Formats: sequence, C-alpha cells, structure tokens
Amino acid sequence: MEVTRMSSTAGQTYLDQFPAEAKVIKAAFWSSFMALAIGGLLGLVQALHRTDVLRFIDSADYYTVLTAHGVLLAITFTIFFLVGIFTWAVTTSLDRGVVDIRFTWAWYIMMVVGTILVGVSILGGVVDAIPTNADVLFTFYAPLQAHPAFYVGLVLFVVGSWLAGADWFRTWWAWRKENPDERIPLPTFMALTTTLFWYLCTLGVALSILVFLLPWSLGIVDSVNPLLTRTLFWYFGHAVVYFWLMPAYMMWYIMLPKLSGGKLFSDPLARVVFVLFLLLSTPVGIHHQYLDPGIAEGYKFIAMTNTMFLLLPSLLTAFTVVASMEHGARQRGGTGYLGWLKALPWRDPVFTGMALAGLMFAAAGFSGMINAGMNINYLVHNTWWVVGHFHLTVGTAVALTFMAAAYWFIPQVTGKELWSRRLALGQVLVWFVGMTFMSNAMHRSGLFGMPRRTAEPQYQGFDFEPAVGTVGEINAQVALGAVLLTVALAMFLLNMVMTSFNDDSDSLPANTYAGTLSGPEDSPAVLDNLKLWTAIAVVLVIVGYTLPLASIVDSGGLFGPDIGGFQLAIETDPALVLESVREVMP
Amino acid sequence: MASATEQRETDQVHEIGHEEYDPIGTAILIGIYFLILVLLWLFMYFVEFLGNGPTVVGALLTVVGLA
Ligand code: HEM
Ligand SMILES: [Cu+2]
Repeated sequence: MEVTRMSSTAGQTYLDQFPAEAKVIKAAFWSSFMALAIGGLLGLVQALHRTDVLRFIDSADYYTVLTAHGVLLAITFTIFFLVGIFTWAVTTSLDRGVVDIRFTWAWYIMMVVGTILVGVSILGGVVDAIPTNADVLFTFYAPLQAHPAFYVGLVLFVVGSWLAGADWFRTWWAWRKENPDERIPLPTFMALTTTLFWYLCTLGVALSILVFLLPWSLGIVDSVNPLLTRTLFWYFGHAVVYFWLMPAYMMWYIMLPKLSGGKLFSDPLARVVFVLFLLLSTPVGIHHQYLDPGIAEGYKFIAMTNTMFLLLPSLLTAFTVVASMEHGARQRGGTGYLGWLKALPWRDPVFTGMALAGLMFAAAGFSGMINAGMNINYLVHNTWWVVGHFHLTVGTAVALTFMAAAYWFIPQVTGKELWSRRLALGQVLVWFVGMTFMSNAMHRSGLFGMPRRTAEPQYQGFDFEPAVGTVGEINAQVALGAVLLTVALAMFLLNMVMTSFNDDSDSLPANTYAGTLSGPEDSPAVLDNLKLWTAIAVVLVIVGYTLPLASIVDSGGLFGPDIGGFQLAIETDPALVLESVREVMP
Repeated sequence: MASATEQRETDQVHEIGHEEYDPIGTAILIGIYFLILVLLWLFMYFVEFLGNGPTVVGALLTVVGLA
C-alpha cells in the first residue's frame, strides 16, 4: 500500500542521495532553460512583427526566427527537461543510481553537440559570417531544404535521447536483478513506456533524415518525394506531442497529489493511461495531414478514429489527477461539493503552476477535438487557431508545468533554497494571464481565416469584417499577451539564476513523491509486460501506416517525381525573395 | 518557508483512506467540463455552418444533387 519508499531517507534531498546524477540533471535543466530564454524572446519578436506593433527584422528573416522559435522550444527546451526529469524519476523510484555515470554524461553531451549544430545552422540565416541556412521550420520536411549540418545536428540530438532511454532501461534491468519479484515503481514505469513509443516514432524521422533529406541536402540524390517526407515527419510529429506531455503528466500524477496533501487516487489507472499512450501515440500522425492531397480519405478516417480513442487516456488523467487533488484538499480539512477547492495550497507556486497548466490543458482539449475532426479541421487548418491550440498544450500545459516543477527540482538538485517563492507565484500567474490573452486571440483569428507562419498578415486596404471583434483588437491582445509572457519568462529566469547564487540550505524538503490510495498490487501484472504492449504498438503502426506509405511511394516514387525543392541550404538574397513575392501580389 | 512539505504534513487534519473517500467534487467538476464541451460544440455549429457555406457537406450535397 505504502509507496513512499523514500521515507527511509526522510530529510534527504536528491543531491544528498545521488550527487553524481544530480549534476547531469542540473546541466540538462540549464540547457533547457537556455533554449527557453532564447526561444521565448524570439516568440516576442514574432508576435510584435506579425501584429505590426514593432518591426525591426526584415520580413524575409521572419522564417529564420520562426524556425529557431519552433526548434528551440518544441524540441530543445522540452526534451532537455524531459531527460532531466526522467533520470530523476528512474533513480528516485528505483532507489539506486544509474549504472555508469560516464554513459549518462555521454548522451547528455551528444545532445548538446547536436543542439549547437542545429542552432548555429539556423542562425546562419541571419548572420552573414555563418555560411549555412536552415529556414525550414521545426517541421523540416521537403520541399524545404536545409544545410546538411542541420540534419546532422538533429540526428545527434535524437540518438542522444535514444541513449538516454537505454540508460533508464539499463538502470531498471540492474534493479530488476536485485528485486526480481517487485512491480515496476510507477515513475519508472512512466519513463519506460514513454521511451518505448519514442523509439517507435523516431524511427520515422531517422528514416526520413538519413535516407532522404540528408543525402538530398548533400547532393547525393537530387530529388525526394515531398509527401513521403511529410508523412514520415508526421509519423513522428504526433507522438512527439505526447513525448513532451508525458513528463508533465508524470508531474501531475506523482507530484500534484503530494503537493495537495493527499495521495494518488489510483496507481493502476495511471499505468493504464501510459500503456494507452504507448499504443496510440504513433498510429494517428495522419490527422495532421487531413488536407494533404495524395492520401486517401479512408486512411485519414482511420487516423481520426485512433485520435478520438486517444482522448480516453487524457480524460482518465483529468479524473485521476483531480480526484487526487480533492483527496488532498479533504485531508486538509476541505469540505462541501466544491468548497474543498479553497483548501488547496494556492500559495505554493509549484502547486498553482501545475494546476493552472492543467486547467489550460482542459481548454486545449476542446480546440484539440476541433482539430481532430476531419471536416471541421478544414475550417482551421493552417490558421492561427492551430497556433493558439498548441500554445495551450506544449506552450502552457507542458511549459508551465516544467517551470513550476523547476521551483521544486532546482533546489533538489543544487541543495539551494529557491530565491523567491512570491516571485515564483507571481510568475505562474502572469504566464497564465498572458497566455489567456495570446491564445484566445489566436484561436479567434484562426476562425476567420488568419494564416499561421506569415510575417505580414495585413488585413488593410480592403473591407474585412469578422463576425465578432476586429483585427486590430485581436492584434492588440496577441501583442499584450506576448509581452506578459516574456515578462513571466524573465521572472522565471531571474529566480533560477538568483537561486543558483543562494547559499546551501539544509532545510529543504526531502526527495519524495506521492503515495497511492490504491497501489500497484491492485492492478493486473500484465500491465507491466512491456514486451507485450510494445508488440501491440508495433502492430498498430503497421496496420495504420503500411497502406498509406505504400500508396504514397507507388504514386510519387521513392525519390519523388523529380522534386528539386527550395534550396534554403545556401544564402538567398532577401531582396530576390521579396521580389518574387511581390510578383504574385498586387 | 522552503519546507513546504513539512508545512503540508502539519496542515493535514485527518487521514482519509481508500474506502471512505468518495470524489464527489471531482465528478461535479468533470460534469461541468463536459457541459462546457457540449455547449462549445453547439456553438461550433454556428461558426462552421452559418458563417460560411458548408464545406464537406457542401460537396456531398452537390454530388447528390441537392445544392
Ligand atoms: C514568450 C512566450 C511565447 C510567445 C510570445 C510565442 C509566440 C509565438 C507566435 C507569435 C507564433 C506564431 C508565428 C506564426 O504563425 O507566424 C509562435 C509559433 C510557435 N510557438 Fe510560440 N510563443 C511563446 C512560447 C512558446 C512555447 C513555450 C512553446 C513550446 C514549448 C512555443 C512553441 C511554438 C511553436 C512550435 C510554434 C510554431 C512554429 C512554426 O509554425 O513553425 N512557443 N509562437
Ligand atoms: Cu497530432
């Protein structure tokens, strides 16, 4: 019943327990924060540029900025934080260190080198001294083509994350030898199931990069099939969404109940949820391609059906997590049908940040259902609605949970007390308010067709009357929201920097996570059969993807109908680009 | 101040076990959420169909000769 196994080490922080691992985790967190700082600032540049509040970059350079924003936030920030949290989760819940810390450093350094290569090759788009260009956006499929260094960097980063997964598996195998009859502790179970679908989905991008995009960029092959690289990207592109989300889910399952003063409602339910994500994360990617010609409606319909099933684990999560919070609130003396909400620790920034992140995720659930429906998707596809949606999911449910978690984790891995809890509480609130403005306005503008990924959506010089509100009002909300978000970001970073200058503290809370009301002994052992679930996941992927891929290759050829693409690998004169744009615009 | 965990332990006024715990508040909140979802879906009907010409259905109607 009692899962708080760390009670044996009460009062000990993670740093006390695992000093060597704490160093790697701290490094991973700081890599993540650096990506967040740069990426977030570029987000402000975009928001002000698009809304014409402040334009100091050339519109032709907008795509360099947008690529960096997407890659640094959606890939670098999220995944570096993930590897930190998962390393913490595995070692803490198995109560043992990694097998070989040199291996742990090796994958971390590999990921850093990959990130630097990617970052520098993108930066080449605006810095003349760097002879590269990679304005291919974070989706990087053909016909856009980047400098080879961009793809090589991505490969290093992904292989680094694979090795991180291997590290967690090794640690678990070593533990299993010593504890042959025990159930996998929940946090480790979450990390391992997530790693398994990560392996499954990244095979798609690895294939796309190594067989098509990199050889094409190097000039070894001179054509690719754009639809094939797109489909391979989205084969990975939906699962990566869950890869970002799983560490946030982990925090909601194993930290929120504890912070609320209660216990996780059900360990078995949590396992079911993670198994469902392993099964369903990948065979849904085609729901990003509802509007792609060249993929038959039937395959899109299958992807839609799988997607609707994927709502199930998220609804289960909503129930389990809220029930755990209610349990905590009632143990703290909360009463009434909804009065218990007042008994929650709203002054704790870690709790409040995660709770607000969860609330925004609930709102994103609605816009996600709209995106998922094949017919309504036509209405919002490639508009700012979609951007509004994923700033609620990855941009808040994930990012705000991570920032809130950092307020607990950074003291744990550094042994230093958080510099200011009040600033932290203010920070999560400002982020929430800023995102409410920005995301709501983005959703609305999408409904009247405002495109995403556009430097100058002007809506001037002609009659344009949206049903509700005006373009000017929408733009003002986006700009205001973006400024608030940037302020929140600065507050976060200030707190992190000042914390690392703090003196060592010995009054920090012990490294624990939530116990459970209903523990693993209440769940069937088959839930822990990772081989079985992986096999079913592979079968589902084969069923979902074989026919569409075969028909894409059949109609477009493996290397495409002679598609040269847009060679963004070499410097193009922005004046030329603008000229060609002007040719098609009156 | 930093020892949020300790604070919480003292904040606990009574212990509630698995059998006696009945998450009624959670059921209410989830119910409200579903209600909001249904209302938004209804609202979506107006956005999708009344603001613009029908999209997918439009094609179908043309095919069967209704439009
Ligand atoms: C300071 C906070 C932020 C601001 C002001 C901001 C602003 C923006 C804006 C205005 C766009 C749309 C550009 C366009 O469609 O032309 C955008 C795109 C995007 N943002 Fe953010 N954002 C912020 C934080 C985040 C975070 C935290 C994440 C993820 C963790 C994120 C991920 C993305 C992604 C993936 C895109 C799409 C890029 C693309 O279309 O290729 N953003 N952001
Ligand atoms: Cu998706």
